[in-house]
Amino acid sequence: MAERTLADQLGGYLPEGIEALEEHERQDLADALRDARRRQAKALAEAGEEGLRYVPALLRGAVRKAVGL
Amino acid sequence: MTEDYAARGEILKLARVLGVEPGRLEYLARVDADDLQAFREQVTDTLFDANIAALQRMAMAARLLPGGVLAKIAEKVFGPLLCARIAGLVDVSRGVDVARRLRPEFLAEVAADLDPRRASAIITRIPLETVLAVAKELTRKEDWITLGRFVGHLPDPTVRRALEEIDDPGLLRIAFVLDDKKRIDHVVGLLPAHRLGRLITAAGTDEDLWTPALDLLTHLSDARRATLEPMLGGLPAGLRERAQATIK
Repeated sequence: MAERTLADQLGGYLPEGIEALEEHERQDLADALRDARRRQAKALAEAGEEGLRYVPALLRGAVRKAVGL
Repeated sequence: MTEDYAARGEILKLARVLGVEPGRLEYLARVDADDLQAFREQVTDTLFDANIAALQRMAMAARLLPGGVLAKIAEKVFGPLLCARIAGLVDVSRGVDVARRLRPEFLAEVAADLDPRRASAIITRIPLETVLAVAKELTRKEDWITLGRFVGHLPDPTVRRALEEIDDPGLLRIAFVLDDKKRIDHVVGLLPAHRLGRLITAAGTDEDLWTPALDLLTHLSDARRATLEPMLGGLPAGLRERAQATIK
């Protein structure tokens, strides 16, 4: 599957100076942004389950429900 | 030249947001600084909104937990990045309560990933002692970008106290990466009268500080620049001529 372009990732619009960059430079920015998003999503997924271990047992059910786990 | 200085500062800030080395983005040096700032804000918003639903559910769950438990989860599980993403979504009083329980070293890491625009309500309510401890830690780490991002979001008395703790080269570097350059003259006005002259003199001792010092000069009011004229003669050749040309 083709990777999303920089403009796609940012909602379709790029500032003029960014739009005017060479294609490989815009691609580098697209790669960096995609990697940052992936790192963030991974950290979030791991934190949800792991965080429950520190929640007092009495509250665990309510917290699990609120988080949607 | 002004735009060139500003673009360099913006590249440093964008690299931080993307989690890459600034050298990788060197090709952005030819892009207008205003476009770079607009792009950085787009990237910041995209990252903060990317997992917004899950983050909102976590912020909701945080309401159910005592502050002490939340602080423990924040440090042991969430880490700085996720804490920074959630900070703007939790209740303000809850956010302040948790922040007071966290170590300044950890808060400094959270601050580096935070978007001050989104967490302004919490930032302005954090006790002075905590802000000073975090500022001290950021100074120790030479994290001028983060210090510069917060200047526009803290009350003047807090900024004044924090600036007392930072040495002259540090202040020059913070001013260079300040998010809102229009505030530079106002922030300089919070310093004791003799400090501005000291800042410019300090630049003379280290060539790496020339660019930040010249950038600072471009953002001062005419009246404040005029007070500096008599001391430019003491600067090393090279910096002196450029400083004189800048304040004319």
